[in-house]
Amino acid sequence: MANWIPLWLHKLSSPPVFYRFAGVLRPWAIALAVLLGLVALYGGLVLAPPDYQQGDDYRIIFIHVPSAWMSLFIYGVMGVAAFIALVWRIKLAEVVAMASAPIGAAFTFITLVTGSLWGVRMWGTWWTWDARLTSELVLLFLYLGVIALYHSFEDRRQGARTAAFLALIGIVNVPIVHFSVVWWNTLHQGSTIKLLGPSTIAPGMVWPLLTMMVATKLYYVASLCSRARADLLALESGKDWVRQIAENEVRG
Amino acid sequence: MLDTRRPGLVHACMAVLRRDLTLAWRQRGDMMLPVLYALIVTSLFPFALGPESALLRRIAGGAVLVTVLLAMLLALDAMFRSDIEDGSLEQLMLAPQPLALMMGMKILAHWLATALPLIVIAPLLAGMLHLPGAVMPVLLAALLLATPLLSLLGGILVALTAGTRRSGMLLALMLLPLCVPVVIFAAGALAAAQEGLPWIAPIAWLGAALVLAVVLAPLACAAALRIALDS
Amino acid sequence: MTEMTDAPATTPLLEARALGFHRQDEPVFGPLDFRLAAGELMLIEGDNGSGKTTLMRILTGLLRPEEGELLWRGEPLTWDRCSGEVVFLGHQLGLKAELSPRENLAFTIGLHGHRNQSDIDGALRQVGLTGYEDEPVRKLSAGQKKRVALARLLLIPAALWLLDEPYANLDRSGIELVDALLEAHIAHGGAALVTSHGAVQFHGGEPQRIRLHA
Repeated sequence: MANWIPLWLHKLSSPPVFYRFAGVLRPWAIALAVLLGLVALYGGLVLAPPDYQQGDDYRIIFIHVPSAWMSLFIYGVMGVAAFIALVWRIKLAEVVAMASAPIGAAFTFITLVTGSLWGVRMWGTWWTWDARLTSELVLLFLYLGVIALYHSFEDRRQGARTAAFLALIGIVNVPIVHFSVVWWNTLHQGSTIKLLGPSTIAPGMVWPLLTMMVATKLYYVASLCSRARADLLALESGKDWVRQIAENEVRG
Repeated sequence: MLDTRRPGLVHACMAVLRRDLTLAWRQRGDMMLPVLYALIVTSLFPFALGPESALLRRIAGGAVLVTVLLAMLLALDAMFRSDIEDGSLEQLMLAPQPLALMMGMKILAHWLATALPLIVIAPLLAGMLHLPGAVMPVLLAALLLATPLLSLLGGILVALTAGTRRSGMLLALMLLPLCVPVVIFAAGALAAAQEGLPWIAPIAWLGAALVLAVVLAPLACAAALRIALDS
Repeated sequence: MTEMTDAPATTPLLEARALGFHRQDEPVFGPLDFRLAAGELMLIEGDNGSGKTTLMRILTGLLRPEEGELLWRGEPLTWDRCSGEVVFLGHQLGLKAELSPRENLAFTIGLHGHRNQSDIDGALRQVGLTGYEDEPVRKLSAGQKKRVALARLLLIPAALWLLDEPYANLDRSGIELVDALLEAHIAHGGAALVTSHGAVQFHGGEPQRIRLHA
């Protein structure tokens, strides 16, 4: 195994290097995200065949399902970054963890809203205490807790480390919540609701879904880049490289 | 080296426990507040839902459980607050004793001072809502297992907010996801008992979770405290 | 009390090498170098906001230094390595207002143990609080509270005293008391770091001095 990967990662974890790297990456990521998002929407809303049971109502999955994936994916990224921040005390990891939280919360919120819109048409109710829905709601509260804890500290780095610890507790918690809600539901009524109506999904539906998934990932990368850049500037405001950027801004 | 008599672990644990319980006893007015709060909340249920005893009987278990949880949340913020403000937490952290164990003792003292009175009046609360007498032992068992769990989980969160100024609402937001499983299993046991079904499984789950939390939560609490005060 | 110089004479109790600290990337205090051996006193002088308290918190191990090294008996200082050998007296005295001085000190002893031939009543007598042993601390004056905290120094068997502004709130006899306590501690082979924003006269030999600038 070549050692250029850890070397490269080590270099990247330096704030000025990451700042420049993120600055280059961001426009590409956002452009691709918009492009792929539009393609996926066209594919999902226009090209894909209507479902034999749900008609056109199912088309919300092209937003709902990628958002749900992202809500979990971002929590995973946040957890890994939080772990790195606590163990190795790397500033960039703190920034990445804390910049991920609002994006993840937004995707979780979208998932809940689209899910409930879909639920009205499919199940005739806005909300049901299904295991997945409840877990998603708990996930939203976890995100909000991390964000609120982060902002309640005056010292941002201290806030970031503390919130990182909370994020790690949450990682343990999510499976426990899911398990307990499943148990609870089977005790009460038995889970009658499956999230995806069609058991086998038509290929015409698959590719827009996957495209949208890539688009949301790219959007996350772009959003993370700009948030992390702003946070790094604020955190490192006393450092020379920030001063240089500020001077260049004034001159340019 | 200095010839000293370094106290043993048991001695140090007893010192923390004795001090916190003495303090709680000196301020026993504060100790009564959660109890009063639980009584008020419970007496609101019949007003909100109507005095029909069949309905009250159905919700009694869950209502008492949630009421006790909220009353505990009310007192949670105070767990380490005064220790942080007067500097005794720093002194505790500098003592030559394992911090996790000392935090465990503080959580135990807090549980004894806030949750135990609530458990004592729980039969009264349940009676106000016409919980069947047969379910009462299950309610007490569920509370005896669920309240220490909440104290332990709450202890971690309170430690995390140690560096912030005010934390009441923040604590509620952070505790909610953690206490969902606790509430589900405790309420599950009650519901099963009320329907005459076997209720031992959820109680056993709670017990298992409590054993885990007793071991892990003080460690997490100590770690959280070191992170939260490190600035 | 016996001497506390079992460490080799060459290894100082506490050593700082290029110690520095930043808050939000603003330097709080610059690179500091010092060595403190058993039987030595060091005064840290500086105006308000010069980082004295931050330095103290780092020396207790509660706060991590961001630059440089801090060695305790020749090994990197962590909170668990020096715990029990260091006693810290900060702005917050760590006293419970609802408990009496006697109860507060009993708790201290419960955690730290106590020096041989020292007891709570003796310590309270020495700091001039005879007659106040069982009053709740909240009824005592600021100076008397400080004296209760000073009594802790007499009880805890610690090699290093970290005293953050020990003279604050004290009257003339209180200041003399702190000086006398420090002299006895140093004479018995203990070490102490004392911060102060004013000039301090110390009678038991010339202490080391460090000046922090805001």
